[in-house]
Amino acid sequence: MKSPGFLLALPTALIVLLLGFVPLIVILVWSFWTWDPATYWIRPEFSLAGYEAILEAGRWSVILGSLGKAFLTATICVAIGYPAAMAVHFLASRRTALLLMALFTIPFFTSYMIRAFSWRLVLGRNGLINGWLMDVGIVDQPLDWLLFSNFAVNVGLVASYLPFVIFPLILSMQRVEPSLLAASQDLGAGFWRTFRSVLLPLTQAGIFAGFLFVFVMAAGSATEVQMLGGAAASMISVMINDVMRVVNFPLAFAISTVVMIILFGLIYIGNRLFKLTRLFEGFTW
Amino acid sequence: MVASFESRPLKVAIWLMTAIGLAIIYVPPLYLVAVSFNPALQPALPRLSDISLTWYVALAKERTLISALQESLLIATITALVATGLALLSALAYMDLGKWRSRWFMFVLLPMFVPGIIQGLSLSVIFGRIGLKPFWGTVAASHLLWALPFAFTVILTSMAAVRRSYLLAASDLGASWWRQLVDVTLPLIKPGLVAAFIFSFLLSLNEFGRAFYLVGRQNTLPLAMFGKMNSGASPTIYALSGSIFLASILAVAFVLLAARSNDRKLRR
Repeated sequence: MKSPGFLLALPTALIVLLLGFVPLIVILVWSFWTWDPATYWIRPEFSLAGYEAILEAGRWSVILGSLGKAFLTATICVAIGYPAAMAVHFLASRRTALLLMALFTIPFFTSYMIRAFSWRLVLGRNGLINGWLMDVGIVDQPLDWLLFSNFAVNVGLVASYLPFVIFPLILSMQRVEPSLLAASQDLGAGFWRTFRSVLLPLTQAGIFAGFLFVFVMAAGSATEVQMLGGAAASMISVMINDVMRVVNFPLAFAISTVVMIILFGLIYIGNRLFKLTRLFEGFTW
Repeated sequence: MVASFESRPLKVAIWLMTAIGLAIIYVPPLYLVAVSFNPALQPALPRLSDISLTWYVALAKERTLISALQESLLIATITALVATGLALLSALAYMDLGKWRSRWFMFVLLPMFVPGIIQGLSLSVIFGRIGLKPFWGTVAASHLLWALPFAFTVILTSMAAVRRSYLLAASDLGASWWRQLVDVTLPLIKPGLVAAFIFSFLLSLNEFGRAFYLVGRQNTLPLAMFGKMNSGASPTIYALSGSIFLASILAVAFVLLAARSNDRKLRR
């Protein structure tokens, strides 16, 4: 009997299209409409006012700043995640590897809001770190820049999105033929040489996928900035909230459109260059 | 195991980075859990003799938080049911789609990358235009998009237990597509279905940004908690955060342990 693949896909396809993509496309169209102060809504006359407003009031720098924070977060996550993935795949016994994978799986399903909030207790004036620094005598006064600062936001973002980098990296390491590493070694290469010339090139799809996941998630984040950022700190999502407070729909839609084009553009290019989906084929625990 | 990875300083360095990664993830929330047992108003680690459930008892009186919790449990249950059902269909479709597989995988995964605020805002203006008032269903709609990619990946992973030869054997014995599904595939992937349900439930329960524009009169729990956290956090919020965090950990640990014991059974 012929298997009903396309039929089975239909309900999900409809839901994802109708709830996920159609609203985004409508927003894209509406971002070119004109704001109507009489109705607090928009009317279908072409206008670029929303896009012009992005260039005002430092909004552009918030977008660039968010992308910068996302880039930094993704870089740090790869730097911590790569050795962690090596520990899981190359060093740990089967038991420890499973335990580590479990520990990196759990955070996906805990509240990122609670986790960001808990950093306040650690970084605050009376927090864990300041208390320890003063007990040991490194500082006399509590450090104020630890909390409600860019530093705190970056720490919170790394903590939130680190798990997203680990699994693509482990998957890409599982695909490295062990004999290649052994061969490199038999030919006299030390660890660093083997790492640079064999392991790193063979795992670049995993590195890129992990980096991209973290970058995209961090660029769209709001909670970490709301919980840990200073008074002036902003992020794309927080800025959209601020714009919506004065119900400036075209501007909110224009910002959303620009961000979605940047993020989906990156995912598209990444997928073309590195065949990201292939990474997940044949995933097993 | 490759011998050149066995050098001692290198091993130490790799394990150290792993420990740092885990510490960044776990130390703050676990510290919060510990603080929640301290009866003092000032957040600090309690002395062993001071440990008390004061703030947990006080939770019972937090009416707004409790009704928000009920709303979130309702939304999470509905999200998890629909996400698991759709994810099962999507995974079965994936198995049949041949060269379309990668594209289908990407398509189902994509909504995960849409920033929560943007997804919520876009849904809320559409719902507003078609005259749908915000209620638990509108929140569940946005949570579904967030949970589905995870549920899909989990069920897809569990499909590895279904060998092609099992299905061929069933088909040779005259089993229809439906019989193969009910008698062969579903029993084999049952742990995956349970995992997908629990994971989706937790993702919805803990999701904050997407609900912002879509809640009706009744807040979801994360939204209510966000308000409390930013208004001179009373320590009851530590107790609530701590319990939600621990409950989530236990639920995931249960799923992973069940998956492991099932794995062992299959291998035997």
